[in-house]
Amino acid sequence: MVEEMVEGYVAANDHIIKRVGKRSIVRANSPIPGKVGIVVGGGSGHLPAFAGYVGKGMADGAAFGNVFASPPAKPVIEATLAVNSGAGVMYTYGNYQGDCINFDKAQDKCREMGIKVQTVVLNDDVLSAPKDQAHKRRGIGGLFLVWHVAGAKAEQLASLDEVVAVTAKANANTRTVGVGLTSCIVPANGKPTFSLPDNEMEIGLGIHGEPGIKRVKVRPIDSVIDEIMDAILADLDYKGSDVALLVNGLGGSPAEELYVVYRRVKQICDANKINIKFKHVGNQVTALEMQGTSVSLLRLDSEMHDLIKNTTVDTCMYKKV
Amino acid sequence: MANVTGALVAKSLVLVAKKVEQNKDYLCELDGEVGDGDHGVSMTIGMRAVSRAAKDLPSNCTPSEAFQSAADAYADEVGATIGPLYEAAFAAAAEVVKGKQTLNEIGDWASVYRAMADAIQKLGKAQLGDKTLLDAFYPAIDHIQDLSTKGGNLESALLSTAERALKAAKDTRNLVPQKGRASRLGDRAKGYQDAGATSLAVVLKGFADGVKKG
Repeated sequence: MVEEMVEGYVAANDHIIKRVGKRSIVRANSPIPGKVGIVVGGGSGHLPAFAGYVGKGMADGAAFGNVFASPPAKPVIEATLAVNSGAGVMYTYGNYQGDCINFDKAQDKCREMGIKVQTVVLNDDVLSAPKDQAHKRRGIGGLFLVWHVAGAKAEQLASLDEVVAVTAKANANTRTVGVGLTSCIVPANGKPTFSLPDNEMEIGLGIHGEPGIKRVKVRPIDSVIDEIMDAILADLDYKGSDVALLVNGLGGSPAEELYVVYRRVKQICDANKINIKFKHVGNQVTALEMQGTSVSLLRLDSEMHDLIKNTTVDTCMYKKV
Repeated sequence: MANVTGALVAKSLVLVAKKVEQNKDYLCELDGEVGDGDHGVSMTIGMRAVSRAAKDLPSNCTPSEAFQSAADAYADEVGATIGPLYEAAFAAAAEVVKGKQTLNEIGDWASVYRAMADAIQKLGKAQLGDKTLLDAFYPAIDHIQDLSTKGGNLESALLSTAERALKAAKDTRNLVPQKGRASRLGDRAKGYQDAGATSLAVVLKGFADGVKKG
């Protein structure tokens, strides 16, 4: 299925990207002279993440894995070679063991070939590990916000070290919590990954149809969002700060529901004097057809604020003026 | 007594692939309880590639060449965590049997299995008790190591080693995962049998049956 998807994806976006391998794509005008190449990737089943963000203002290349499985090192290497202008390449992806092993392998091989490669692994999922073990946390919806900052910096032809530093800073200031109402069906498997009674939901779940941290009875949506926001605000001090905000759909929730979520998130931000400088509501980091949502907040300083504000994004699956 | 040439190792790899595929749904089910439900799929895709590569090997290939072809085939198809782990395991097996024309001694297989497990441990950094495939692999290796000092019949040694792995895989129910996606569930993952440990037992059974079939 992934092969057919990539074929269609490349054909549909041939004004923005070109294919450089069975499972690798890069911006059509790669390599861009003087620009740090940003290579992203991960399992399939999350579109627009990750390949959807290849284009102006975000990523330069992406590697596709099988559904919910990291890509092998090979497509990452292919993308790296294609985007490397000599200014170096940054890998950035969510913290999963498979992605870490395969991207590290690609990084080793590319460094052996003399390419400068650095990596920023994202770990925004608050409930996936306690704060003192934050290095174990997964990367989920927050990547959408972090990559705005990373991509904007790279568009300015900043150095590899500068792009890495601001990406790491954005990641350190980003928190996400998700909630799911249904599981999803991995196509090659054909059955829902887990079963959830109609009157229950999973809090703190990831983006692979895997179970969350706890299962609770379905309740009115405002109280669910309150719990999500409590977890985020307890983990990082957002009070009085400027933020970039994503209300993300996991793939199977109607847009209408996401706006109901946004309404409550906005109320909570107002009550905490959190200034929403940039916001997006929609399906970005999905888990196939899973129903549910996640909320991500990125605490902005003036550098990150200006980067997001002043950069046009024009990628395969996401545009921002 | 089987004569375990490179060609027979290759044939055994084809049989391993078949067994993995037969267990695909079961492995996905186990993974779905605590992970993302694709373990059977990843293993099947990888072992299919191994099987294709094994069938293309010349009949006079060495055991080392057979394992190396498996290493090369597996990783490029799968990715995920399991891809690099099995790639490293097969590559380590290829390394440890370099120069050998046959693997007819129990000790040969003890060193193959140990090399595979050590390579997986090194890359995945799991410890015993972390609820990974190593919790099935190392008890099986202790078992075959014992048998290799005692001496005996290779076929039955490989079979009982596979059985030991399966029993150990079942025992992973009591463990709390420390690695991979399931680790984020903590105690909630207790009571479920580890999918990776189970597929490892299937792999060892495939080797045992392959050698027995001759």
